[in-house]
Amino acid sequence: MENLLGMSSLFLQQLVNGLTLGGVYALIAVGYTMVYGVIELINFAHGEIYMLGAFLAYTMVTVFGIPFFAAIPLTIMICACFGILLDFIAYRPLRRAPRLAALITAIGMSIFLQNLALLIWGGQIRSYPRAVLPKAFFQNAFVVGDITMTWLQIFILAVTVVFMFILHLIIHRTQVGTAMRAISQDKVTSALMGISVNRVISFTFAIGSAMGAMAGILVGLYYNAIFPYMGYNAGIKAFAAAVLGGIGSVPGAMLGGGVLGIAEVFGAGYLASEYRDGISYAVMILVILFKPSGLIGKPILEKV
Amino acid sequence: MKKVLYFLLVFGMAIGTGWAADTVKIPVASPFTGQLASFGEGVKNAALLKAEEVNAAGGINGKKVEILLEDELCDPKEAATVATKLANNKEISIVIGHLCSSATLAALPIYRDAKLPAISPASTNVNICKMSPFYFRNVYKDDFQGTFLARYIDRVKGYKKVAVFYEVNDYSMGLMGAFMKEAVKLGIQILGTEAYTAETTDFKPQLTKFKMMKPDAIFIPGYAPQGTLIISQAASLGMKVGVFGADGLDDAIMLENPDAEGLFVTTPFLPDQAGPAAAGFIKAYTKKYGVEPNWFAANTYDAVGMAVAAIKAVGQDRVKIQQWLLSINTKENAYEGVTGKTYFDENGDCLKDAYIKVVKDGKWVGAEKQMM
Repeated sequence: MENLLGMSSLFLQQLVNGLTLGGVYALIAVGYTMVYGVIELINFAHGEIYMLGAFLAYTMVTVFGIPFFAAIPLTIMICACFGILLDFIAYRPLRRAPRLAALITAIGMSIFLQNLALLIWGGQIRSYPRAVLPKAFFQNAFVVGDITMTWLQIFILAVTVVFMFILHLIIHRTQVGTAMRAISQDKVTSALMGISVNRVISFTFAIGSAMGAMAGILVGLYYNAIFPYMGYNAGIKAFAAAVLGGIGSVPGAMLGGGVLGIAEVFGAGYLASEYRDGISYAVMILVILFKPSGLIGKPILEKV
Repeated sequence: MKKVLYFLLVFGMAIGTGWAADTVKIPVASPFTGQLASFGEGVKNAALLKAEEVNAAGGINGKKVEILLEDELCDPKEAATVATKLANNKEISIVIGHLCSSATLAALPIYRDAKLPAISPASTNVNICKMSPFYFRNVYKDDFQGTFLARYIDRVKGYKKVAVFYEVNDYSMGLMGAFMKEAVKLGIQILGTEAYTAETTDFKPQLTKFKMMKPDAIFIPGYAPQGTLIISQAASLGMKVGVFGADGLDDAIMLENPDAEGLFVTTPFLPDQAGPAAAGFIKAYTKKYGVEPNWFAANTYDAVGMAVAAIKAVGQDRVKIQQWLLSINTKENAYEGVTGKTYFDENGDCLKDAYIKVVKDGKWVGAEKQMM
């Protein structure tokens, strides 16, 4: 009986861990999926925006002494501008070029930003000094038997849910959201209808980058680790989450992030922990094999 | 135009070799950038300090010592590249390095085939010196370190149930094996082992599993960058257990982590336990760099010292240097350095003491109870 109780609390604790991780993946994944939705480009530099988010907030609280909760919106705004700039420098000149060309500049920007961060902040792992963070983050919100949840975990989940909700409102209740959906269906016709396509694309980059920056701050807090290459792994994972959910679909990215986070944590917790990444990618491959459009992606129709 | 270029090239080479003849180049291979850069910092500082001192005292038979810093990021692939470069350079007669066991094992066959002797100041994996007659080290081996730790927690700490969280690399796995072998003999229960890779930042799934097992302590036979994350994440899961590790966790990064209070590790060198020979070194090092030397620094200082002594005795011939190092095989003709007497067995391994240090009030201090 005690054994059974132990097993079920292990399961629940892992579920909490998995949901937290999944929430972060989902935040990054929407950035990929939104950009793909409007310009059919896989923005491989998105993981680096996430990394920059973590580093910018770190620099603000340590070097400039800005309070943590003020650093969050500042970082998000700066990263949103970065997103627009990224599109302006690397993708807009190639809008009419073959898609492969833009993909290559995306990879180039990713490597450039990684090395820029390496140059500025160095290769060592950094963490937010505990003194600048709210004390409550490290206290338990509740303890039930062996299951604990810290306020930080609740903060991460709450931020994820709130951001997703705001995103949903933007996409479905605002004019620019309607324009985004229109462009994702047909760019040329939307332009003919008087939508300023480039402006909407910039907006999409800004929103996606803002979400990515938030995810970067949260991960830096949660794992206590900020380093120039953090965007690579997280970016690939989030991209996998976006594909798993159905690339181009925002609810799909959320679902994909959750599934991938839980698969990864359970893979590490119940199967072999050294193969955790392998396990989560295997789940993605399996889903794609049986449902190539992803969990809730639109079936791919040949455009004629 | 082409002729001018050729002339410049030949002229440049002549100058290059002309300069080279004036110095004795000793390469030091270690991670100087990347995650483990802080380990390499001690290596670099100590090597430069030793070279400076040797040069101030007249160099090696009138020639100045020049330290070549070779960065390999603790990455086996990079280490192999660096090793190939050094092996093909005829001016190089001995290498100091590498730091990480996996890097050393990758470089080892290259040095062996080039008959280039090397002294590692820090690689503790058991197999290293056995695999090559040209590899030496002035640090203890993991079978010693692992056994030592198991005995220490048994006798001093009284832990009965331990969980092991290791990294997938040669150092961590070798150390874990040695520790577990002795622990089982002593009746310590190993509740479980979990693995991670160097890129991991999320350790909570495995720690959650450990938490349910209710261990007395967690053993982390890994490196400090991941070790500090494991310690904080265990604390955030509400785990109140002892945490201990080996020399790989011996880094200043632990002092910035409030959850690391009470962490104890094995180390080959403790400033407050070191003999009188070390006093001058500790003073000079602290004066020059503003921090006390750690064990990477102390061992590198002696490794460079041995290389200098070898070249002084037999010149810059690779095989002669190897033979000279092999001849240092008794306590009587040992090399006396800041880490005590160093002499090699027939494999090129040496016997060194281990010490326990602990994080107390945000500082590394020698544990009150050592075990000799």
